[in-house]
Amino acid sequence: MSAIDQRPPLTPTAESGPTTVRRTLARPGVPGVAAGLALLICLAGGVWAITGLRLNIATLIDSAGNAVDFSSRMLPLDFPPAPELLGLLWQTLAVVIAGTALSVVLSVPVALLAARNTTLNTPCRVMARAVIVLCRAVPDVVFAIAAFRVFGLGGMTGVVALGVHSVGMVGKLTADAVEQIDEGPRTALRAAGAGRLQQITGAVLPQVLPSLVATALHRLDINLRVSVVLGFVGVGGIGYSLATAVNRLDYQRAMALALVVLLTCFAFESVSGAVRRTLLPEVTTRSRHSRWRGWAARNTGVKAAPSAVARAPGHAPAGTAVAGGDGTAAVRPRTGPPWNGARVRRTVWLTLALALVVASAVRSGVSWQALARATDSFLPTLGDFLPPGTAGTGGTLLDDLWVTLQISLAGTLVGLVPAVLLGVLAAGNVVGSPRVARFFRTVILCVRGVPELILAIVLVVVTGLGPVAGALALGIGSIGLLGKLVADSLEEVEPGPVRALLATGARRHQVFFGAILPRAWPAVLGHVLYQLDVNIRSATLLGIVGAGGIGYDLLNAARVLEFGVVTTVVLMVLAVVLLVEGLAVWVRKVYA
Amino acid sequence: MTAPGPRAETPAGPERAQPVIRLTGLTKRFGSGPDARTALDQISFDVTGGEVVALLGLSGSGKSTLLAQLNGLRRPTSGTGTVLGTDLARTGDAGLRELRRRIGFVFQQFHLVGRLTVLENVCTGALGSLRGPRLGLFTYPRSIRERALDGLERVGLAGHAFQRADTLSGGQQQRVAVARSLMQRPELLLADEPVASLDPESSAQIMRLLRDVADQGRLTVLCSLHQVDVALSWADRIIGLRQGRVVMDLTTRDIDRAEVMRLYTEVGADPAPLPATVAPSTGTR
Repeated sequence: MSAIDQRPPLTPTAESGPTTVRRTLARPGVPGVAAGLALLICLAGGVWAITGLRLNIATLIDSAGNAVDFSSRMLPLDFPPAPELLGLLWQTLAVVIAGTALSVVLSVPVALLAARNTTLNTPCRVMARAVIVLCRAVPDVVFAIAAFRVFGLGGMTGVVALGVHSVGMVGKLTADAVEQIDEGPRTALRAAGAGRLQQITGAVLPQVLPSLVATALHRLDINLRVSVVLGFVGVGGIGYSLATAVNRLDYQRAMALALVVLLTCFAFESVSGAVRRTLLPEVTTRSRHSRWRGWAARNTGVKAAPSAVARAPGHAPAGTAVAGGDGTAAVRPRTGPPWNGARVRRTVWLTLALALVVASAVRSGVSWQALARATDSFLPTLGDFLPPGTAGTGGTLLDDLWVTLQISLAGTLVGLVPAVLLGVLAAGNVVGSPRVARFFRTVILCVRGVPELILAIVLVVVTGLGPVAGALALGIGSIGLLGKLVADSLEEVEPGPVRALLATGARRHQVFFGAILPRAWPAVLGHVLYQLDVNIRSATLLGIVGAGGIGYDLLNAARVLEFGVVTTVVLMVLAVVLLVEGLAVWVRKVYA
Repeated sequence: MTAPGPRAETPAGPERAQPVIRLTGLTKRFGSGPDARTALDQISFDVTGGEVVALLGLSGSGKSTLLAQLNGLRRPTSGTGTVLGTDLARTGDAGLRELRRRIGFVFQQFHLVGRLTVLENVCTGALGSLRGPRLGLFTYPRSIRERALDGLERVGLAGHAFQRADTLSGGQQQRVAVARSLMQRPELLLADEPVASLDPESSAQIMRLLRDVADQGRLTVLCSLHQVDVALSWADRIIGLRQGRVVMDLTTRDIDRAEVMRLYTEVGADPAPLPATVAPSTGTR
């Protein structure tokens, strides 16, 4: 009997005994089922929130009348006189720029202490990570309330609030970047006897710089959007004028100012892109090789040796004539890069950026005296916020936290469907047409450009005070961020399996479901939960402008100087945010 | 590939009196308990001033660990080791850092900061002799920048001084790394498989450069290699490692290719010295 004859039959035969059903689907694991259940609960929560808030077509139709009425009340727009408007704009920009610069200054040491490869020891690392988490979880408005106690009215309050809160993001992303560096250059410097600080400035920071600049510019963008809310707690600038106009029900002025903020955000986005491109040129291709070499040869004063053969030590390099003896003038080699177009551009931008930061700091009232005052008042101010208390409003706080959660769940779910749709259409590897993908990327970018707070203010007016406005604002806001993250996740999928399926003759939608989605969906899920986390924090802020939830309690507590209540609100939001973050980490781990 | 042959004569003079490297029973273990792994086992040899030594052995035989020990990047578990008069086991962190300032180290993967200019990468080699941190080319004194330019010219790359390091080829990047190590004005040069990731032409250039640098500066060089032919034509002496032990230590004049190849062909053999391949007096000539 041949070997082939001895193989077992492929299908059970009558002689092969009782028929056994072979499993064609993997047995579900306990973690997978648990994570699935948790996600289902979140989804059910979203549906419950939308129903509970009566966020439906009927409400929207009811609001349509308000919208028409609102349009008539906001038109014509009433812009302040140009000098006043420019003054307000500069005041806001100064706070935003100085705040972001402060966050970078604070974030670098925190990030170096928080990164596994540069920290001093484990306790330092844990503490630095805790500082980052705390800065991120505590809303900037709370920092503003605290800073207001020290600095009073003025830019310094805004600078400190934005600066400290931004450490949460800038510090985290920088720490992550530090952990991802190539350790080789640092090892080389260590082997050459360089000290720890020299290793960091010589090998770590140069590698992290692109990420730091990109993060700082991104944060600048975010801070400009959120700076409006600081106006509601007394920080001067456009936000303050906007808050005053809204409180006076002067919608012509309020919407004019909102439009200015919107246009500034759009302008900022394009300027920051140009700055990023100029400060961080990506000259990694060999295409510029010869051009650079030409420049260098012309400008260094030394010529490239024809081969790697070494010369005798002590021999002066070509182009270096030693002054003296023969009376010739000394021709010293160039030891700095040549002044070519790129360097001139980079220097101009860098100088402008530094000048802008200094001018912003001066305009915002940053001074040594202010810093000294901050040092003196730090502990007394901290004492105001401790211990946490409820001032007899514990029940209300819990109810309002529930509402905030409802707003964020509803907002996330409302934004989810259009965000995923836009994200899919903006992913080049899914739609197959770069032009279509680019178009939808632009749509996402435009939606992202609209600050949620402006949306919330408009929606509060249209739908009335309350959570519906907040949920809708978050929903629309989610489209921008989540849409981008979904598109990025889809595009990051390795192209091999896609090509393999295309090669088998599969259609584009089959490729999407067969090769792209299975790889991308854990990341997409993580992003959805991240969006929920962002929305919970944003919902707190939106409450301040009248969109319901616990943010309103926060503002009220600050107004009546019940700072213990502020701390309680912060701790409550912190607990929920950490819960959602933990869920996101766990789900990503389970489905990775 | 052509590389300059071994020196006709070994250096003479006072520097011969004191060995640059003296290892006696040097052992390095990683981990503890049943998972402990012995990377270096009772290593003993001397290297005198001006010698050019090739370390040969299979991957995992302990070459890189040995170089890291000599540079003071890692401390031995037991045994004694003295490099440039510094006791590796007993010297504190500051003393070891001082030692590292006197030793140049060339790595297989160049270890340059890709987005910095070539000149700034070379300047970082002088950090050990400078006080305080430096960020940006302009923070280095002009004298250091000029020395860096000299170094770049010495390796034939002065024309690339202001180019980003990651725009250079692998061979060019390794030459930059050599220039960086020369900034230390080293008394000893260690090279860990400096040509393992380079094409034959670039490898030849690098090995020629290292030999020239060694000859002109009377430098002591220890270089781990995989290419037997390169080692035979380039070094004065070959030290062979197997499973963390020295199994071969002879001058290149006293050994032929077939003997050296036994390091690679007798895989899994007992790490006892290969017959007639260890000179009687700890390997020195």
